[in-house]
Amino acid sequence: MDPRKADRIATAAFWIVGVIALGILAFIVIEIFARGLIAAVNPSFFAGKPQALKEGGGVGPMVVSTLYLVALTMLISLPVSVGAAIYLAEFAREGRFTRFIRFCLDSLGTVPSIVFAIFGMTMFLFYLNWRTCLLAGAITMALLNLPVFLRSAEEALRQVPRTYREASMSLGATRWTTVKKVVLPSAMPGIITGTILPLGRIMGESAVVIFTVGVFVRAVPLSPFDPAAPLAGYIWYVQSEAIVPDYRSIVNGGAAILLILLFAINFGTRRLAAYYSKRKSLGG
Amino acid sequence: MSGNGDGNKMRIKNLTMFYGDFMALEDISLDFASRRITALIGPSGCGKSTLVRCLNRMNDLIEGSRVEGEIILDGENILGAGYDVISLRRRVGMVFQRPNPFPKSIYDNVAYGPRLVGMKDNEKLDFIVEDSLKKAALWDEVKKILKRSGQSLSGGQQQRLCIARVIAVQPEVILFDEPCSAIDPISTQKIEDLMAELKKNYTMVIVTHNMQQAARVSDHTAFMLVEEQGQPGRIVEFGDTNTMFTNPTDKRTENYITGRFG
Repeated sequence: MDPRKADRIATAAFWIVGVIALGILAFIVIEIFARGLIAAVNPSFFAGKPQALKEGGGVGPMVVSTLYLVALTMLISLPVSVGAAIYLAEFAREGRFTRFIRFCLDSLGTVPSIVFAIFGMTMFLFYLNWRTCLLAGAITMALLNLPVFLRSAEEALRQVPRTYREASMSLGATRWTTVKKVVLPSAMPGIITGTILPLGRIMGESAVVIFTVGVFVRAVPLSPFDPAAPLAGYIWYVQSEAIVPDYRSIVNGGAAILLILLFAINFGTRRLAAYYSKRKSLGG
Repeated sequence: MSGNGDGNKMRIKNLTMFYGDFMALEDISLDFASRRITALIGPSGCGKSTLVRCLNRMNDLIEGSRVEGEIILDGENILGAGYDVISLRRRVGMVFQRPNPFPKSIYDNVAYGPRLVGMKDNEKLDFIVEDSLKKAALWDEVKKILKRSGQSLSGGQQQRLCIARVIAVQPEVILFDEPCSAIDPISTQKIEDLMAELKKNYTMVIVTHNMQQAARVSDHTAFMLVEEQGQPGRIVEFGDTNTMFTNPTDKRTENYITGRFG
């Protein structure tokens, strides 16, 4: 075939495939907002109290639960993942041990969330005798996200040019000082961007929530040991178990709120990463 | 002053170095005269960068590297058991092939070393930063933009910034690992002038593949060579730069400096 003709056909084919992929995504977003946006932006819904039997319940405590769970999970998994990533990228000598750790991490990364959910339930509810609560969910969720998070943090650290480390060590810095003063600040935008995927996963995760955190609360959770009901789990519960007559509109509204929260966190994370990379280039 | 006289800042004695099972350098002996510039020349892969990295033990960072022999700095063997590598690197600074300023401000780049040893006094830091940048012949160009990123400077300025960063640590020896190979001729000229100036206070070693540069800046020159692929790098000839370039004793040196190979 004439190469120019082949090029035109290929361009057209990839354009069509791209449009289809984007079209499907756009359809999902539009569909969710068309069904739920009006409910989602109504204060009596997004900030209102839920109802167990009657119509007109809100999802205020569920929104708080979602954000609380996200924050708590990040608080636990950030130091652990970044710490382990620093060990693997900066201190560990490549060998049988690090290969074994990576193998375990990769295996752990493919375990379905329901398995983690069962583990969390067994560990915290049966073994430690806790009731369902945010902390149990956050720890379980941290474990679930550890492999992805660790790998992305490690990757961000490895992206830092070797020449920075050499410069620092040649000036008489120890390895740890080099990590603290040069490597970590340079890797920060990458580490932050690497939280986007885990953040989304925490928000959308329902299995862990159902088994360890709870699916219905009346009041806003305050302590990490309080039961809570993050949106993803609550949506599942309302759709399949609840007896409120307006369950359809709650599900639609809840889905729209979840999507808005995801967009907001995604946007915020990117801004934070951009801020860090700007600060980095300016010095400081 | 002779390279084998008493005024030697550093001496390498029978140094052999391995990367794993591979012998990279064999039986190197070399003296570095105090407050003089010694050039290491030779074709690519002859081990001159590896050798210079032994002098501040940067090779320690490479897994599987191992050395035998002695490197004496002011009478003390820096390869000896328990020798403090951190203080060694403060005494023996290094300028790298590619300018590698940190992604920090010009000021913070220069202040990095002093801060490592716990200096927090802003007045003292200001003084050290200004003094080091002046010694690196960069002050006039950057005195108004000290807060700007070191990486916003041109390649040649970045390299002088890296020299200022080393000077700020107040080393006794400065190693230059092909410092001009990534920058333009005018900047190269500036750095060569700077080295001549720094000779008053520092002992310097420069690795270069540019023979004209070695001839221009150095007092002593060592010519290194790998005879055959897979063999270790060895010193072919070492002596006074002028003598070496006008009247080399070894045929291989003559061939190299007259451009027959390399």
